[in-house]
Amino acid sequence: MIRFENVVKVLGGRAVLDGVSFEVQRGETFVIVGPSGAGKSVTLKHMVRLLTPDEGRVFVGETCVSEATGRDLEQIRTRFGYLFQGGALLAWLSMAENVALPLREKTNMSEDEIRARVMEMLRLVGLEEHADKMPDELSGGMRKRAALARAIIRQPEIVLYDEPTSGLDPVTSRTIDSLIERLKREMGVTSVVVTHDLHSALSIGTRIAMLYEGRISELATPETFVASQREEVRSFLDSQYITRRGAWERNVP
Amino acid sequence: MITREPEYFPPELNVLGRLGRRALFALRGTGQATLLLAQAIWNMRHVFAPRMRREVLNQIYQAGIKSLGVISVVALFTGMILALQTGIELRKFNQEVNIGTAVMVSLLREMGPFMTGLILAACVGSAIAAQLGTMVVSEEIAALELMSIDPVRFLVSPRLVAMCIMTPLLSFYTCMLGVLGGGLVGFTQLGVSWVAYWENAIRFAEVKDLYVGLLKAFLFGVIITIVACHQGFSTSEGAVGVGKATRKAVIVSFLLILIVGYFVTRLFYV
Repeated sequence: MIRFENVVKVLGGRAVLDGVSFEVQRGETFVIVGPSGAGKSVTLKHMVRLLTPDEGRVFVGETCVSEATGRDLEQIRTRFGYLFQGGALLAWLSMAENVALPLREKTNMSEDEIRARVMEMLRLVGLEEHADKMPDELSGGMRKRAALARAIIRQPEIVLYDEPTSGLDPVTSRTIDSLIERLKREMGVTSVVVTHDLHSALSIGTRIAMLYEGRISELATPETFVASQREEVRSFLDSQYITRRGAWERNVP
Repeated sequence: MITREPEYFPPELNVLGRLGRRALFALRGTGQATLLLAQAIWNMRHVFAPRMRREVLNQIYQAGIKSLGVISVVALFTGMILALQTGIELRKFNQEVNIGTAVMVSLLREMGPFMTGLILAACVGSAIAAQLGTMVVSEEIAALELMSIDPVRFLVSPRLVAMCIMTPLLSFYTCMLGVLGGGLVGFTQLGVSWVAYWENAIRFAEVKDLYVGLLKAFLFGVIITIVACHQGFSTSEGAVGVGKATRKAVIVSFLLILIVGYFVTRLFYV
């Protein structure tokens, strides 16, 4: 569904991506992990052409997103929902208005229909009681859930998550994991998740890719990933006290 | 697309290289700002839609009504200072009755639009640059683009319309309040009656002074909005970048207001 072909991206004089190739299958939850500065968010931004490769190409379906412009790019972007690291909610709009924004701006739905759809989405992320709060009145977790509601309100095929659990307590992090899993189960969305949180990656990922020094150093299922003998993978696993090498028990509700 | 890729430039080798790069950046910035203006004008057709109309009214409130306090004080005291300075000199020739002309003409032609422009650049331009810069840093602009919402239509056009309406109106208000301040000083300090002051004020003022002043204010409104939006959208480097963008928006607006003001005067009065 999303295909990277030898993508090279140089930022600040350094090759952040140095010949990255992989393919995300329809319906899977593809998780990208790696140390800070490894190029995880850069990879994600290439999928919606917030960044353009210096070399190589990125495909979404059969369309080359890295060469798309104007209406074509707009068309491709409508297939995506994007959860930004900080939520990227507009500060002067209430949570409900933020979630309603894509519908108000890009559809001809009536206000009643929009309101009903917004409440449905807020219910899904457990925030229906806070609809009229402003973003600065929300906690980090609530902001991310509201941003997720906005990202999925137009029912995208693919949802990209940039560090969905960073800065959140473990309980809220697991709530976000459940939401990602629920969206996959109930709406059949393809998910690409960028995270540092290996517990989350192993619990929700169909496959996990480790980005290291601009390249994919490991691409495996969670079970194979925890058993990897690669030094950088082992050190990443050890850093989060994951010493198990057998099957990873998934217990995401 | 407003969201820009991060740029990297190797350090310049010498002064010439630094100057050359600055000149190129200035040229590129001018081109980008001109393009932004063209896009904002093109998108103005959307501002009459009910949702955008609400945003324009909000911007009119933010840009105009909220600046009214500071503009009133500056306008009143500018008129008072003008009247006092000219009145002191004219009194030497028993001509203090003519302060009305001096105050009215200088306010209508230059001081009114100029003071309004500077105040709005400092109050409104800086606020626009800071807001848009923060939106860039917190990826709100990228989020808008990914939702296929054009940031120029959504953010720039309503501000441009609001400023194009409010700057001339505020400029006229500045002139009138300045004239009132001048009259106040004339009456209390220089012994010029209100009637004599007013008759003198309107005797030599022409309609041309009014419309040239309003044209200047209109152009200043365009300059302030486009410079602030361009600087805001060009923000990089996080919070430090927002500070830089805000500072640059005010400085560039000030300079352009002076330069454009001079050329408009030259065009109509020389």
